[in-house]
Amino acid sequence: MEGSDALLAARLAAGDDRALAEVFDQLAPSVYGGALRVLGNGSAAQDVVQDVFVELWRHPDRYDPAVGSLRTYLVVLARHRAVDLLRSELRRVARQERHYRLTPAEPPGTASDDVMAAETASVVRAAVQLLPDGQRRVVELAYFEGLTCREVASAMGIPEGTAKSRLRLAMAKLETVLDRQLLEST
Amino acid sequence: MSTTDRDQVLPMGLRERVMAASLLARTVGQPVPAVPEISADEAFARAADAFYRLLSTLSEQGWKTEALRGLDVQGLVGHLTGVEHDTHRALAGDAAVADAEHVESTQGSAVRQAARSPAQTLDEWRSAADHTLELARVADGDLAAGGCDDRIAVHGIRLPLGDLLVVRAFELWVHDNDIRRAVGLPPSVPDPPVLRLMSDLAARMLPYAAARMGLHPVDVHLVLTGPGGGTWDVAIGQGTGSHEATGQDSLAIVADAVGFCRLAANRVTPAELGPHITGDEDRAAGVLTAAATLALD
Repeated sequence: MEGSDALLAARLAAGDDRALAEVFDQLAPSVYGGALRVLGNGSAAQDVVQDVFVELWRHPDRYDPAVGSLRTYLVVLARHRAVDLLRSELRRVARQERHYRLTPAEPPGTASDDVMAAETASVVRAAVQLLPDGQRRVVELAYFEGLTCREVASAMGIPEGTAKSRLRLAMAKLETVLDRQLLEST
Repeated sequence: MSTTDRDQVLPMGLRERVMAASLLARTVGQPVPAVPEISADEAFARAADAFYRLLSTLSEQGWKTEALRGLDVQGLVGHLTGVEHDTHRALAGDAAVADAEHVESTQGSAVRQAARSPAQTLDEWRSAADHTLELARVADGDLAAGGCDDRIAVHGIRLPLGDLLVVRAFELWVHDNDIRRAVGLPPSVPDPPVLRLMSDLAARMLPYAAARMGLHPVDVHLVLTGPGGGTWDVAIGQGTGSHEATGQDSLAIVADAVGFCRLAANRVTPAELGPHITGDEDRAAGVLTAAATLALD
């Protein structure tokens, strides 16, 4: 397919829906598989696939065949979308944990919501556990306990700048850990 | 990319869901980047301005260079003046020009230029083109008020006023390029909004050209690439015009928009156009050959 990527891009720009269907049939399994690796959740991965193909259809001119294959473009786009989704999920899980800690007696949400949240949260927590101790602790304090960087620094007895840099490193590593296999493959 | 990812089985319904969401976000056939819509008279005005700019750069020798059908550039401009005059008559409802032959009817005007200076030829053509625009705008107002027939007949074609003006813009661009070729200038490409109107007209005229050639029914999915292009589903003969599975024979033709317009002007051959065909190659060749018969010359 790579040899005809420029033609496909031109067809997409011309509003050719058959070109979109062809690209989907050829590349959607890769896009879906990549998103699934990052997210570990089929429903969320389907949302990523939809986002990626709608984006391609609305803005086909953002893909430049001279830069790389359409497959790589879409898979990388999917990875970015999946990581964005994961980040927001990380924040949601952290908020939820803080909320439950403050109001332990509150009844949980619906069964399906809980299953979805639990699946995603377990993926996120597993990834956090793989971080080096210093970085893991910063993430736990900042995200799960809701501390500011200054408060994290004080709690850990380190300068605020160090806390910030550890948090940045931790987030970058977290993304890498979560989609390492996908990155290697592309 | 791992084999696992490439072989990933998609959930049921995902394809339909993604296609539906995509087509809601952007209509089929709508080009990206979006091309501003312009009126047909604006397209004609732009083509006339571009033609005038070209003629204004020509040397005395350039005006005397043979350009087309044995006519030098000056004679070719005279032909176009003749076309404008016949268009004026058509807009005035003169039935005599309805079936007049395009070249023969204007040959007198073409030949007359030999006794004139290039400046006189240029001025006469410019005045005639400007008058076409004035008459068209008046006629357009009358049409809006329901004052006259909505089709104009000239040189064997009978079209709504807007389409006729696009035909006029088309012919100016084609002869602009005839002159460029004759005097050794690089070819020109219309503005994307003008090209979009020209591509659209050529796509819509395809069934008529195919009917004249007696082509068998076929649905043609025509994709014209590049700025000013788009996608059209064209029903030829008793074709359905739908690209969905209907049991009807169907073809997909993908070609450069400018190239396709040159084909419709009979300035390139189907082979020179180099289209990408899906479906029966022979039938596609028939459709492309029919497209080339749209030319008035």
